[in-house]
Amino acid sequence: MKLAIIGGGPSAFYVASRLHKLLPQTLDYRIHLFDRLWSPHGLVRYGVAPDHPEVKNCTHKFDEAALDRRLRFFGNVNVGDNPSPLQHTVKLPLSSIFSNYSHVVFATGCTLPKRHSELPPSASCISALSMVHWYTQHPNAPSPPPLDKLSHVSLIGNGNVSLDVARMLLTNVDVLRKYDVPERVLDVLAESTVKHVSIVGRRGPLEAAFTMKELREMINLPDASMVPLAPELLQPSEGVPLTRQQTRVLQLLSKGSKNTFGTTAKTWSLDFYRSPAGLMVPSSENTRSQLSLAHTVVDPATQRAVPTGETSTVATDLVVTSLGFHGEPTAPYFDPGLGHLRTLSNRIVTNAGTTLRNVYGSGWASAGAHGVLAATMMNAYDVAETIVNDHMKHGGRDESRPVAGGDTGGAQN
Amino acid sequence: MFTTPARLFLRSLRTTPRTAFRTANLAPCARRTMHSSMVRYHAGIERPAPGTGIKIHFNDSKGTLIKTVEANEGDDILAVAHEYDIDLEGACEGSVACSTCHVILPEDKYDLLPEPEDDENDMLDMAFGLTDTSRLGCQVKLTKALDGMVVTLPAATRNMFVDGKKASH
Repeated sequence: MKLAIIGGGPSAFYVASRLHKLLPQTLDYRIHLFDRLWSPHGLVRYGVAPDHPEVKNCTHKFDEAALDRRLRFFGNVNVGDNPSPLQHTVKLPLSSIFSNYSHVVFATGCTLPKRHSELPPSASCISALSMVHWYTQHPNAPSPPPLDKLSHVSLIGNGNVSLDVARMLLTNVDVLRKYDVPERVLDVLAESTVKHVSIVGRRGPLEAAFTMKELREMINLPDASMVPLAPELLQPSEGVPLTRQQTRVLQLLSKGSKNTFGTTAKTWSLDFYRSPAGLMVPSSENTRSQLSLAHTVVDPATQRAVPTGETSTVATDLVVTSLGFHGEPTAPYFDPGLGHLRTLSNRIVTNAGTTLRNVYGSGWASAGAHGVLAATMMNAYDVAETIVNDHMKHGGRDESRPVAGGDTGGAQN
Repeated sequence: MFTTPARLFLRSLRTTPRTAFRTANLAPCARRTMHSSMVRYHAGIERPAPGTGIKIHFNDSKGTLIKTVEANEGDDILAVAHEYDIDLEGACEGSVACSTCHVILPEDKYDLLPEPEDDENDMLDMAFGLTDTSRLGCQVKLTKALDGMVVTLPAATRNMFVDGKKASH
């Protein structure tokens, strides 16, 4: 078996690690990982916040998998016919992969930030991803946000990435200095004049995508306090059963932040049931941006946010959108409706609905940008099992090359 | 005459690849110490002499015995599982930053344990197949009172993303 894994992030390494465990020790297989970046580990290196080093312990297992001489990692290689977003990458056509390997896994993640139709990118509106890439020093090398010229930041989105960015902006730089935060990032953070971070979500606390660990870190921030939430926001609807996490989120939010609001120089707020309707950038009349927000309620039938008709405006200095991610639309087998590759039981499905043989999808590339490391690991293990079952079904012989669907779908059609 | 980068690359697969990259002009910076999280060596717990240790039965999710093992007072369930090659993951290596060492305990033994701290409970929120007697294996330290305990591994998720069903987080 000669397996090519396109992508060298956690899902790729977990597939490889599990294959080492499941395949016969004496089998002379090959697992080759390809990544556009020169260093491996994907989001574990360039997504996890620098003050969460324990999360990165998973790389020890990746290193163990890489010790096996049957595995090799090729960095700085852009597989596919689309131009690389990075300069200096070596180009490798997908057809070369298909003709040189018996099995292929797409572990390409979801690398593009979702945009908001009412918030086009500008000097006043950036993606959270560009901030994450800045403080993790991703080779994309985005410029740092002008933190020394801002006092109010509006984060749009209620996920963990939103809370990560808020926490990086509200944590004292001397605390961050203890972690692997690059010196030039610390320099910018040390000059920051950010006083308030507003976290805007179009639905309520029960629908928020953030998790308890990250919420608790915000609640316990030593140098910031949270605007108390109105009690009616923390009342669950009649007769609707709550998950364990939802119950605990409401309990934590009603307790409020460890520091009482008003006792700290820096503050933050969770602004639920607000959806951006527009952004007026600074002009001669207004030195600050004006973020227009539609007020919403959650429709119990559809669970979606619906506008009430009421609006309000918030003066802000920077809008940061943190609305999730999707795959690259020009990637092979990308489904524009799903925002990621088309798969069925771990196998890639073409535009025409053909399930390909020996071609698989793993992690966020296959399922969309949801799930912490544990979820990605379980998915990757499942992919590995599928590969092993397929390999064993052919008596351990792989005469069948992966069949590249002539139609790779996506925006090319 | 000109070899495409792809062909050069594929040629290099047959020999040791040498990566060459151009480094941009790096601004000089003072030497800094690197922070690294403490590496926890699961170099193995000491196996007690047979018959002298605390007996633990590891079961799979269907209730079938995987293995009966013995460990010492103070060993945590994750370390015990790794010592005896039981298929229990520990992605964050015991730092309460994931839920992969999630185990299900019998109610009577669960009640003997001290309550989980907030950080463990936060991680348990996300565990797949969570029960009322679930704990993170890395946080459960063995005592003599737990002798003979059955530790059940949760069912592995069968591809959560089949049929478009999305994980809740």
